[in-house]
Amino acid sequence: MKLAFVTPRYGPGVIGGAETAARMLAERLARRPGWEVEVLTSCAADHLTWKNVEAEGVSSLNGVRVRRFPTSSPRLLAYFELDGRIRVAPAAASLEESRRWVALNGPMCPGLVDAVAGTDADVVAFYPYLFATTVDGLAVCPAPTVLHPAAHDEPALYLRAFRQSFSGTDGLVYHTRAERQLVESVFPVGSQPQIVLGLGVDEPNPPQRKGSEVLGLEGRPYLCYLGRVDEHKGCGMLAEFFATYKERHPSDLALALVGPLSGPAPGHPDIVATGTVAEPDKWDVLRGATAMVTPSAYESFSLVVLEAWTVGVPVVVNATCAATMEHCRRSGGGLWFDTYASFEAVVDRIVSDGGLARTLAEAGARYTDTYYRWPALIDRYAGFVERIAARGPKARLRPPRLANVEGGAAYVREH
Amino acid sequence: MTSTPTSGGTTRTGGEPTDATSVAGPQPDAGPQPDAAAYLAGVMAEIDAEVARRRASGELPPALERELDELFLEFSPVGTRGSARLRETLALVDGAAYVDTAVPVASQKAAGAYVKRGIRKATGWYMNYVVHQVTRFAWSVSRMLHVLVDHVELLEQRVDGLRPPDVELSVVPVGSASGEWWDGIVVEALAGVRGRVVHGDCGDGALVEALVGAGVDAYGLDPHDDAAEAAAMRGLDTRGGTLLDHLEVVPDEALAAIVASGSVQWLSPSERDRFIALAASRLAPGGILCLHSASPIGWERTCPPVLADLAPGRPLHPETWEHLGARHGLRLRGVHRGGTDDRIVVGDGPALPEALEALLSVVNDRLLAPGEYLLVAERVQ
Repeated sequence: MKLAFVTPRYGPGVIGGAETAARMLAERLARRPGWEVEVLTSCAADHLTWKNVEAEGVSSLNGVRVRRFPTSSPRLLAYFELDGRIRVAPAAASLEESRRWVALNGPMCPGLVDAVAGTDADVVAFYPYLFATTVDGLAVCPAPTVLHPAAHDEPALYLRAFRQSFSGTDGLVYHTRAERQLVESVFPVGSQPQIVLGLGVDEPNPPQRKGSEVLGLEGRPYLCYLGRVDEHKGCGMLAEFFATYKERHPSDLALALVGPLSGPAPGHPDIVATGTVAEPDKWDVLRGATAMVTPSAYESFSLVVLEAWTVGVPVVVNATCAATMEHCRRSGGGLWFDTYASFEAVVDRIVSDGGLARTLAEAGARYTDTYYRWPALIDRYAGFVERIAARGPKARLRPPRLANVEGGAAYVREH
Repeated sequence: MTSTPTSGGTTRTGGEPTDATSVAGPQPDAGPQPDAAAYLAGVMAEIDAEVARRRASGELPPALERELDELFLEFSPVGTRGSARLRETLALVDGAAYVDTAVPVASQKAAGAYVKRGIRKATGWYMNYVVHQVTRFAWSVSRMLHVLVDHVELLEQRVDGLRPPDVELSVVPVGSASGEWWDGIVVEALAGVRGRVVHGDCGDGALVEALVGAGVDAYGLDPHDDAAEAAAMRGLDTRGGTLLDHLEVVPDEALAAIVASGSVQWLSPSERDRFIALAASRLAPGGILCLHSASPIGWERTCPPVLADLAPGRPLHPETWEHLGARHGLRLRGVHRGGTDDRIVVGDGPALPEALEALLSVVNDRLLAPGEYLLVAERVQ
């Protein structure tokens, strides 16, 4: 079986749920006897600039053949202008306008699309739905295709430009049931072959240091957030909520924001922002937390929730995030908040009730062990891909390639 | 030919909704353990009560709460999915309806504050004039939205009062895990069809598996997520959900066949109409509908009392399905009757009195005859 993944960015340094998920699957499938896995991706590492930083050509990474193609244009400022205009009523945007949005969102990678058109893979898997590489690649692919949407309830999902991607693919792989419901509420894809797969959790690194030691908190209890520290991930809101909580409930509780910073760190004496940390440190910090908080409303899976349960830590999630709520409801492993008042009450409760925290974490660990361990997940995915390959590609409409948007100022990262 | 005595009122689920242990194959514990779910619900109820107490006691300043909740909503997926959190979103509109002309004048430079104050004062007459109109417009919009929200909520309340309550999964008895009397007929009817075939209320996926084995591109749905998940673990394309909801998210003419069983019998009248219209539109021309149901008499005889009382609808005679289907272009191919056959057969002994034979015949027909049927219909070109 020869499987090709198409993803806008690829590599261990790429922070992004979908890209990381693609790498996790690719590397594990590559170890499977009789399987050959390659990745078609861009030379970019930053999704906000699409600047070519990796060398073009073929390389190998953990047993996976990686073919990189340069992006033909950086992200333009025109993207933000168009995005701001159509996000209020995305479904009302014309097809032409929405295709322009996809082209501006990028990455425009003509060499990659040509490579997909000429692929000899048995199946090509696209990850995630949102980018030009997926829209153009799906349209030209001669082989059976699998789409991993990694969708969440964001304005872009409602753009017409994506209709053909969803209806034209031969199979869909969802992270959660909630993602499937969301996609089906937007596109009529119910009859397409599909599975709800999710991602597996790796064995945690053995403990090396106390989490509070890693954070320089000298034994203080702390809540932790893991992932990109970004306004859109709800980190600003979490910092604000936490600061208010501390004002109203003085204690030695701290908040650790662990992950790469997209902007300035919140300036509060009880909030520690570490930036990117080494894997062993990440696990130590997570293991030592009183609870792990995911404030983001826009998650399509949230692996960190499962990782927290694996090391016996309960989670607190945003009640408007369907994916993390599904994990909590199905497992019984976490609490949620949808107002400041409920955040305060949840934190109070989880901090003061060790028995509750333990019970939640144990329930979450059971759920993780049942559904999200790698060998079983890879077997299911491989079986699905084999069935898609056996069905062959279905006849599909082949819209023209996205037109490169020329001219205009390029976006420059401030941080 | 065998059947379970209760199949007139069952889904094909191989275990109770929260008990996957009787389902063949891997045994994922799909949901939380019942006690874990109850525990979690209890904890969240206590947290809700604590929130209510804090609000009532005034220890949570309303202005502070509103400000932070607006921040929360700013990063929530509201507004893109219809009426979710209508009131909260409306509060955002209200909060933004006032435009403040008192521009901050603080500055890091010594003279900056004086300059800014001067500009503010000099342009105040102009800004106030414009802002006054903007604010009036915003308030008018906000007021109109309040009226709309009131109406929507009233309508929702009324509609909800008219809607028959859903049947809880826990009152639906568990049928055979596999091997219904009509499975073979369905497999035969669908042999050679080209295109996707969906089985609603597929339980543990036994019929889906049989169809796939016969070369049919079949997938299944079951309202019991656990049962569907267990079947999916065996490599079948099975998912949680109801057939009726599923047909809504399938394109027109996308299916080669639909197999409807289980809950199709107790759909409410409006849902039943919706089902037959959707089924006909989702079938490709020449597509086949296989519908398994208890007969009205069979339902009375075999349906558990709680389900019989709570079900929003009742099984129809096959002739009625034929009539409804014909309105949407479905032509009857045949009706197969089956199920438990307990009819009393008089042997070769002495002949019974005529009156007794007549009575026996009535008892046989009314109480002991097979009480199920499988209707097969085809969407005409």
